[in-house]
Amino acid sequence: MSRLPSNLLQDIDDVWTASELATSQGKVIPTGSPELNAQLPGGGWPVGALVEILQDQSGQNDWRLLLPALAKTTGVLTLVGAPHAPFASALAGQGLNPHRLLCINTGMPSNRMWATEQALRCAQVTAVLAWLPLARAEQLRRLQMSAAEHSKLLFVMRPVNAQNESSPAVLRLITSNPAQGDALLVTIFKRRGPPLAQTLVLPARPARLGALLALGDLSAPCSMEDQIADASIQTLIDQLPTLQHAGIGPDRSSRFSVL
Amino acid sequence: MHWIAVQPLSPEGVDLPNDFLALGWWALQFSPKVARVNVNVNVGVGVGEAAAGEVLVMEVSASERLFGGRTRLLACLFQSQGPAIPVRYARGSTSLIAISRLALPPNPSASRVAPDDLPLETLAAALPHLGTLARVGCTRWGELRALPRGGVVRRFGLDLLDALDRAYGLKPELYPWLVLPEVFEAKLELGHQIDAAPALMFGAQRLLKNLQLWLQLRHNGVLALELGWTMDARRNTATQGALTVRTAEPTQDIVHLQRLLGEHLAHTQLPAPVLYLHLRTLQTEKLAGKSASLLIEDLQKGDSLHQMLERVSARLGTDSVLQLQQRADHRPEHMQSWRPVFDAFRLIAENQMKTGTKGIKGSKNGNSGKLNDLNAFSATSQDHQLYPTWLLIKPMALLVQNNIPFYLGPLTLLAGPQRIEAGWWGPAADDGDCALRDYYIARNLQTGLVWIYRERLGGVAKSNASDTPWYLHGLFG
Repeated sequence: MSRLPSNLLQDIDDVWTASELATSQGKVIPTGSPELNAQLPGGGWPVGALVEILQDQSGQNDWRLLLPALAKTTGVLTLVGAPHAPFASALAGQGLNPHRLLCINTGMPSNRMWATEQALRCAQVTAVLAWLPLARAEQLRRLQMSAAEHSKLLFVMRPVNAQNESSPAVLRLITSNPAQGDALLVTIFKRRGPPLAQTLVLPARPARLGALLALGDLSAPCSMEDQIADASIQTLIDQLPTLQHAGIGPDRSSRFSVL
Repeated sequence: MHWIAVQPLSPEGVDLPNDFLALGWWALQFSPKVARVNVNVNVGVGVGEAAAGEVLVMEVSASERLFGGRTRLLACLFQSQGPAIPVRYARGSTSLIAISRLALPPNPSASRVAPDDLPLETLAAALPHLGTLARVGCTRWGELRALPRGGVVRRFGLDLLDALDRAYGLKPELYPWLVLPEVFEAKLELGHQIDAAPALMFGAQRLLKNLQLWLQLRHNGVLALELGWTMDARRNTATQGALTVRTAEPTQDIVHLQRLLGEHLAHTQLPAPVLYLHLRTLQTEKLAGKSASLLIEDLQKGDSLHQMLERVSARLGTDSVLQLQQRADHRPEHMQSWRPVFDAFRLIAENQMKTGTKGIKGSKNGNSGKLNDLNAFSATSQDHQLYPTWLLIKPMALLVQNNIPFYLGPLTLLAGPQRIEAGWWGPAADDGDCALRDYYIARNLQTGLVWIYRERLGGVAKSNASDTPWYLHGLFG
């Protein structure tokens, strides 16, 4: 069979060769992480498509993965069935206006599905994050259609055991945490393009928290009065090996203790 | 002058007074000169109906230009925007001619009968004198008109001559013109008893259609309306029930109101079967004009936010749709509260009703426009990056073994303490639960990073590592 001329294929957005990533036909929002952008068709989260995020525990890595992209958007962000209350101060510290958030809390799976669809149909809503552990494929298809029709970012959070179920999502990934360290592991197992063999390791923590954790598991959080005694950090690092868990009683003399 | 006389064909089961009201409002869309006329001639005799009585007359010549000519206006009237119920109509250059032609047996030539050839039975003022007139050889309008005017006045009174002059357009035709009521109020008798609240929706839809007409004609949007019902009095229960639906922005969108009513009715229990429905507007407001945009990007597809919120709140309960309210407090659980969005809307609505202030922005409720006011955000201190992204609404006590807190496995403390001492000023009842806490960032393999704290009960004196409890308060998601 003769090969199709490759320049013909390049002109058609809907066709891509199996060895290369598809170019996205629609708009994308960059994820905020160059490593992840490089592996996603179009270079970001697809707008108007369902993205499925599988994780061990709901709420475990959602904001780490999505917040940089969401912070760049405008409009209302709807959380449907969020596992906990979003902590506004933390989100604001990472650049997301918490007043954009709208939480729809409902337990019943059918209600969550309905609310997600309603949110997708709303003109002012930009992105919908839905925790739908019990969603079926046909329900997800419905959501995918709504998202496509109204051009919304739609992220559906599901448990890892949904990996083997069929899904209409254009992008499916698993997030997990390594045994050591605090990186975010992302496995993209469905995308428009070749399956990604390796796991992406993203250091996705806000700069300040990352710096704190990188200090070698010692503490230098700011006090509520926004005072940080930078000078004491070096002395704390020096003491590090000798300190044990048992000594975690807070010490009033210094504002920091090392664990 | 161009008059149209309209009469509803009344098949069985049509609620005539109500439909007639709706018909009048329908006619008002096309002309301000609409009147209900009680004619005693047997209108529609030819169809074999004894529906003598009311017809609707409307004068449309002033509206012809607006609708693009008489033909187009007629097409609008009876085809594209036709009335909700079947009607028959006739036209004429005066209302009496139109009514008279309506009374003729319906055949294609009826509309072309010249005024002189119209039978006298169809002129209401001539009815008492029909016998006398017939004996002098007058059966047509033209024959009556040919008689000397003075003699007609002396013999039959001024009324007949007056009517004849009006019929020929020699005198102006004045009617008590139909005006819209200030408050929409409509009743509907249900054809049969209804036991389940959702089934009331069918009747409510008919009332809502009338409401839509009323709103359009008055250029108003509805803010609050009440659907009430009268129940069978033979049951020893309440005989009246009502449901109030509010919407944040004045709307003419009947589909939205219909959905809201539907959601509310789905939660309603009826103690007895319902016989009558009525719909009433509680609050309406003039609709402000909308400025459209030429840019394609500005054309948003989909429902508006408040419609979505109202619909979701109506189905899932107002407590399910939450919006952030931030507070200045050092205790994490008091830094923010997630409040029902709908509360804000209701407060605004009630505030408006009381004070008459207009517009969301003008209300005193500071929380009101937050979702709309998305751009008024300044990045807060970067130190807040150290907070967890998820906060547990109620801190969860953790199991402690060998001084190590457990949450799905032993937790390794990574950073801390971050000391919080706040809330000591208020009484316990007044959300002043005193917080003396040391927060730590901890981790284990199962959960990732978590935010836990230990209470310092009574300060350092009692701080004893072995019995102070640990709590989980946040997750770094």
